[in-house]
Amino acid sequence: MKPSFWKSALLGGLSVLALAAQAEAGTVRVTVAEYSSKTGPYFEEAKKEFEAKNPGIEIQFEIVPWDVLLQKLTTDIAAGTNADLSIIGTRWLIDFVQQGVAEPLDQYITPEFKDRFIETFLSPSIMEGKTYGLPIAASARAMYYNKDILSKAGVSEPPKTWDELKADAQKIKDAGGDVFGYGLQGKEIETDVYFYYAMWSYGTEILNKDGTSGLGTPGALEAAKMYKSLIDEGLTEPGVTSLNREDVQNLFKQGKVGMMITAPFLSNQIKEEAPKLNYGVAAIPAGPTGARGTYGVTDSIIMFQNSKNKDEAWKFLDFLFTTEQRAKFTQGEGFLPVNKEEAKMPYYTDNADLKAFTALLPDARFAPVIPGWEEIAQITSDAVQKIYLGKPDEIEGTLKEAADKANAILKKN
Amino acid sequence: MHNRALPYLLTLPSLALAAIVIFWPVWDLIQISLHDVNRFGQLRELNDFANFKALAADPDFTAALLRTALWTVLVVGGALLVSIPVAMILNSDFYGRSVARVIIMLPWAVSLTMTAIVWRWALNGESGMLNSALRNLGIIDQNIQWLASAATAFPMQVLIGILVTVPFTTTIFLGGLSSIPDDLYEASALEGATAVQQFRHITFPLLKPFVNIAIVLNTIYVFNSFPIIWVMTQGGPANSTDILVTHLYKLAFRIGKLGEASAVSLVMFAILLLFTMIYVRLAMRESRA
Repeated sequence: MKPSFWKSALLGGLSVLALAAQAEAGTVRVTVAEYSSKTGPYFEEAKKEFEAKNPGIEIQFEIVPWDVLLQKLTTDIAAGTNADLSIIGTRWLIDFVQQGVAEPLDQYITPEFKDRFIETFLSPSIMEGKTYGLPIAASARAMYYNKDILSKAGVSEPPKTWDELKADAQKIKDAGGDVFGYGLQGKEIETDVYFYYAMWSYGTEILNKDGTSGLGTPGALEAAKMYKSLIDEGLTEPGVTSLNREDVQNLFKQGKVGMMITAPFLSNQIKEEAPKLNYGVAAIPAGPTGARGTYGVTDSIIMFQNSKNKDEAWKFLDFLFTTEQRAKFTQGEGFLPVNKEEAKMPYYTDNADLKAFTALLPDARFAPVIPGWEEIAQITSDAVQKIYLGKPDEIEGTLKEAADKANAILKKN
Repeated sequence: MHNRALPYLLTLPSLALAAIVIFWPVWDLIQISLHDVNRFGQLRELNDFANFKALAADPDFTAALLRTALWTVLVVGGALLVSIPVAMILNSDFYGRSVARVIIMLPWAVSLTMTAIVWRWALNGESGMLNSALRNLGIIDQNIQWLASAATAFPMQVLIGILVTVPFTTTIFLGGLSSIPDDLYEASALEGATAVQQFRHITFPLLKPFVNIAIVLNTIYVFNSFPIIWVMTQGGPANSTDILVTHLYKLAFRIGKLGEASAVSLVMFAILLLFTMIYVRLAMRESRA
């Protein structure tokens, strides 16, 4: 049969062409945030494995410290020299979407692929019904407590409310020694978040229902007064505005802090640096009404709209989000699993620390998806620092001023 | 007699290079500062100087501007005051002079960022070296939280600024001192001049051109200096140690207001240009008179 002969010849020719195209298929450049010293080696290994399975595709990494990632992306995008894929903070995603920098991935996502993810972590990357990013890293916050310090102060259980926390911190102080009750972060990234933990417990959200800033509400004021009283009564470490998250974590690892709130990766650090530390992980204290909130964070990996190798880039994404790859990365960095199958692994289900984190996920709040969020976070951090340093009667004015500034930005949207 | 175009021709290559390296970015900055820009530097429409107006209305900018002036005057002034005697000592002949010279120059060999990181550790409230040293000496009995508020953080930053500026300044002065002929001192000593008189009437006047160079170069350098303040406090707490460069960095790369950041950058450029021109004018007139 002639037509079928031509058909097969044509198909054959096409497949040769396709092979040729695959052989020519380009390099996929990926900008990666350096979470820890394990990030680079993990991605190098993933590259080797992927390239062995997919001849013709070459993966190139640019591994950038987290602090300068946004700066690098800004300059790369401005110059049009950005990579094909990049890890970004999901809270930045709105800017990337609005400026048409990020490519929607829906054409690639199959129902099977989508089903791999735990809904809570995928949803922050979905905007206007389209999926613009995949959660490469996920984290939440819970309260770490030092069992030895607590029991020495006569406290048998970690505090469940902020009132109990304050009372326990007082007992720790009274028991003496060179230790501090509550580790309070007051500098650099997430200074605002450390304040939200208290604010959420007093029933205030970052944004009110009408879309204005929550900083002007009574709940924010209560939370600020409570934190301020902890500082003034010597129940925190001294000089809170000189300690960033790592500084407070270091104090905890040194056994100098009774309680602090931070991310799951501290467990990994303790395992390596202070294996003898007798600690536990508990829920974030609740407020008078029983309300509580933890901060959920995801980082997304996005594809750039101007990428010339989208199909190859997708193949690599598909590879990165297999259960096996996810488990390697997540366990190395000490994040939470984003993949359903992965979450069933004994590594996660038998781990008491991680259980405390996953139990808090129903209370997780993610950074609001609004343009100008970074500026509002900065305004909040500045206000919080002013409160920590200032006098108690200035708290209300400082919060009011910050709320006005934030509202002016929110109005523009 | 000779070709009048020749000097221009000869300077053309370096002028072209300067144009690429200096004028092009400045032109770019002007463009960004006059437009509405998105956070990835893509230009939209002209916005009628809105970026500059926003700066004028921003109390954080004004505060940073004043603090930059204070920072520059204190660091440059402090470095001058320290460097002149240090250079004079290093210029005199004594046993172990070359070792002393190396020690003075060493901070220069360490990158500014590293110096700042080391000091950040040293000033740590709980485990910092400075506190434990002061405690051991019995000077304090409670830890000082150096970086917790601007009242202690900013003076420390100024001191570190002076420390890292001294080597360069001393080098300039050493060069200047070695150009002063010894016979001037011998002759004046014969006339019975005291050391103070020698300094006032010989050393200082002859060192003046070098002092001028040191002031101009250090001012430009210190005014733009980013690592010390950024590493130690990131301009905080609550922007209370911000100078213009750190303010600019936050505007551009934290908040994504590239337009306003470019405007800050141009204001800084204008201030430095103006300062240099006026200062060089004054210094030149003085030396001609």
